Amino acid sequence: MPAETHVEQGPIGPDEVFRILRERLAEILEIDEARITLDSKFSEDLDADSLALIELVEALEDELGERTVGFSIDDEDLGDLHTVREAVDYVVARLGIAG
Amino acid sequence: MTPTEQQCTVAIDAMGGDRAPGEIVAGALHAQAELGVRVLLVGWEDAIVPLLPGGEAPDGVEVVFASEVIGMAEDAASSARTKKDSSIVQCAQAVRDGRADAMVGAGNTGATMAAALLRMGRIRGVVRPAIAVPIPVPGGRPQLLVDGGATVDCTAEWLVQFARMGREYARIRFGVDAPTVGLLSNGEEPGKGDDLRKETFKLLEDVPGFIGNVEGRDLMAQKADVVVTDGFTGNVTLKSIEGAFKAIAGLVFGVLDSTPEAKEAAKVITPLLLTAAVDLDPDNTGGAVLLGVNGVCVISHGSSSARAIVNATRVAAECVGVDVVARTKEALAHAG
Repeated sequence: MPAETHVEQGPIGPDEVFRILRERLAEILEIDEARITLDSKFSEDLDADSLALIELVEALEDELGERTVGFSIDDEDLGDLHTVREAVDYVVARLGIAG
Repeated sequence: MTPTEQQCTVAIDAMGGDRAPGEIVAGALHAQAELGVRVLLVGWEDAIVPLLPGGEAPDGVEVVFASEVIGMAEDAASSARTKKDSSIVQCAQAVRDGRADAMVGAGNTGATMAAALLRMGRIRGVVRPAIAVPIPVPGGRPQLLVDGGATVDCTAEWLVQFARMGREYARIRFGVDAPTVGLLSNGEEPGKGDDLRKETFKLLEDVPGFIGNVEGRDLMAQKADVVVTDGFTGNVTLKSIEGAFKAIAGLVFGVLDSTPEAKEAAKVITPLLLTAAVDLDPDNTGGAVLLGVNGVCVISHGSSSARAIVNATRVAAECVGVDVVARTKEALAHAG
């Protein structure tokens, strides 16, 4: 197989990132996806602790890393992400950097 | 639980524990010889190889090199994520990849739990894993304390899951047909405890075998087969028992050494005490199983000797043999 820098599955925009993040987070927290909105706060609204967020980061890196080579999330940035919207915006920006 | 004839492969963290790597490697070699399991010894090459007979891994033992180690004081979740080539993460990775059927670790408990969770994943329906610690009961079968320290902050729903997983594991490990469950609290009456205990009590009333609250003094007694609590309280409880044991042992042996008459009596009493204490030695209890992850992970105590590693490996192999993961999934599915 030739070396690739991208796996072509179309661009990943904010809506797609939100869909993926919501699906994975619902699995991790064992809650209904409908409870997760862009305005949801990880700690206050969803009871997501640091371990849950690290599970989420690993899941996102696994899934998005297959589609965008070099995608990763910096652990030091996790403390700044309080809402789902902030996380989506962050991931979209990181995808831009990786892409 | 019956020993398995099936040869399974157990990944052992050679770098984890106060007495690593010496006692861990020795235990792994004994485990391979005594139990007939295949062992992956995971850790630093320079630390492991000199401890092998003739510097060579014997048949049934494979050394897997890992370049990093997670220390006892390191943050559990972030170190398990960032130190991907650490010995404990590589053990969990080996189980995930199918190179091992189970893992054993005596190092940083939180990191072991996080590594198992991140690499093996959770059983569907389980939000947080719990450590099922066998508590010796003099003259009786051991109790299980769940959770011994995996999940510090818990919800009532999680504690109910711990109870269900603990009941199934009590059936598997100790052959109890209908295990009883007690909720650790500061009084037996239903209204006792903080908000978490009161809420959990109500939910546990739907769990078969629930006998109500139990108190700290009901540990090491045949009051309940499974004692449920959050990981914070559970870990404090375990350390309290350990500390009390040390103090009592010091007191007894101090008295037996205090006068010429006592020293004479000690010649008779000491061997009897040491024999009686064998069942209370944490090295002999076989390690604690991490319930709720999608693989077998046995956590041995921090000061594990070679004997503790052999017994933890035995429990790991037995868990594989009876498919403890599948049985836990089944128990939770039937609970709805």
